[in-house]
Amino acid sequence: MAAITVLTPTGTLGYGFGDEALARGMALGPAVIAVDAGSTDPGPYYLGSGKPLVSDVSIKRELTALIRAGRRAGIPVIVGSAGGAGSGVQVDRTAALVRAIAREQGLRFRLATIRSDIPIERAKRAVAAGEIVDFEAGTPLTGKILDETVALVAQMGHEPICAALEGGADVIIAGRACDDSVIAAFPIWRGADPALAIHMGKILECGAFSAEPFAMDVMLGTLDSDGFLLEPGSLARRASVKSVAAHSLYERENPFRQSGPGHEIDLSGCRFEQVGDRQVRVRGARLAETPDYCVKLEGARLAGYRSIAIAGIRCPTTIRALDGILADVREKALAYFAPAPLGVVFHVYGRDGVMKELEPETAAQREVGLVIEVTAGDQELAHAACHQISGAMLHYHYPGVVNTSGNLAFPYSPSDLDLGPVYEFSAYHLMKADSPTELFPIQYEDL
Amino acid sequence: MTDRLLKDLADIVRSKNAGPYRITFDILFKDRERYEAVRGTGAIRPETVAAAYGIAVSEVSSFFEIDMANAIKITIRRPRAQGSSGDGDMYGCQHHVPLMLIRVPVA
Repeated sequence: MAAITVLTPTGTLGYGFGDEALARGMALGPAVIAVDAGSTDPGPYYLGSGKPLVSDVSIKRELTALIRAGRRAGIPVIVGSAGGAGSGVQVDRTAALVRAIAREQGLRFRLATIRSDIPIERAKRAVAAGEIVDFEAGTPLTGKILDETVALVAQMGHEPICAALEGGADVIIAGRACDDSVIAAFPIWRGADPALAIHMGKILECGAFSAEPFAMDVMLGTLDSDGFLLEPGSLARRASVKSVAAHSLYERENPFRQSGPGHEIDLSGCRFEQVGDRQVRVRGARLAETPDYCVKLEGARLAGYRSIAIAGIRCPTTIRALDGILADVREKALAYFAPAPLGVVFHVYGRDGVMKELEPETAAQREVGLVIEVTAGDQELAHAACHQISGAMLHYHYPGVVNTSGNLAFPYSPSDLDLGPVYEFSAYHLMKADSPTELFPIQYEDL
Repeated sequence: MTDRLLKDLADIVRSKNAGPYRITFDILFKDRERYEAVRGTGAIRPETVAAAYGIAVSEVSSFFEIDMANAIKITIRRPRAQGSSGDGDMYGCQHHVPLMLIRVPVA
């Protein structure tokens, strides 16, 4: 097998890369440009709402550079998890930007879009057939939860992307895809060992986060029959055994075993070897196919509407009395608005705002930042309850009060801010698929 | 022999979400010698990490000593799902401090 070089411009499309790093990377003769555009990491909002994670301005600017580079070199450009969560509306939005780029740049090419939306009825049939198991959500997926789910996608493997390459696509905008599949698809399509290609994908998918100094920037991987060689695009960075090994641990639980659609990768026999000053050679990944081909479902449901108030507290007597005040204003708000259910949360920054019950330190605070958060069935009610609580706290009388003119320092007018709909994850489960491609339809367009 | 804080012995101590329901901690050491010295004390175990965060050991979902990376990796279940009501750290990337401050009996 001839060596195949994959260029990954950045860790998340829209988060930037260096122009010189891209130019230098392209000079190294990559066979494909492949980049990830999302994940569940930013939370459930982007899946639930369909809003894009990154602005159209940034996506269009970076896609323009990548598609121009790809067309000049005659190589495909692959984007996975388009729009952030990879839902249909986000694929459409990204595809519209690609059409505008083709028009404005006078480029002609074949665009493929791959959808990853799972019809609720399809998932319900799988529930009924016992073909869905929990991944990490902690509860089984039910028909009721699926009825509440407003957006449901599955992570595709490399197979649908390989099919689009086989269909002659020059630019592929894929819905939700395993991060590594986006990078691994082209080499596998050209006959590379899937174990090595997927392992390379796991490292490349974050761009130059596996280099030092790390950054959202260009990273290249060159795959042959024995392993792969990693190198950052920018000469200001290097890949080191330490930077690559460290990245192998990043944001995943098991460093030795990684499950993906239809397979499990065993990394326990991996070896990293420094080559020169800037390159690292990796070998040793092994792949086992799983008996069933399962895809990971990701679903989001509407949890209500949120309003917040932000305030500072500087008075030591208020800070000492804070827990009692918070409990009391919460109780009064719940009673005032009953029977409408309210979710009331206080984030007390300076004390335990970040870690909540996991915070072990108990030192007294000089000043605290308070975020009052109310979630309700509609925005008007959330706003009303948030203002009721912030107002009650502002003028709350407690034993030992010294300053009677107000307990909260508001930085903003209005004090209460409406944040709109709130989503939460509803599905994070594995579903058996009939084939690797059945859930991921491809559409072609000659631009 | 005196106790030292893990942050003064490790090169990197970090936390990060691993999917919506886990927070994973990585401790990376500069070299094999430092890694083995800390590993050998047994100061970093599921029990000590659970104690540092005030959680039951059963909430530690996995623990790995990774020789090829001179690293120790611990993963816990999140008290609440990422982005659900009351969550204070979407990326889980500011949960490392109690781990960083664990005392290790190493010279």
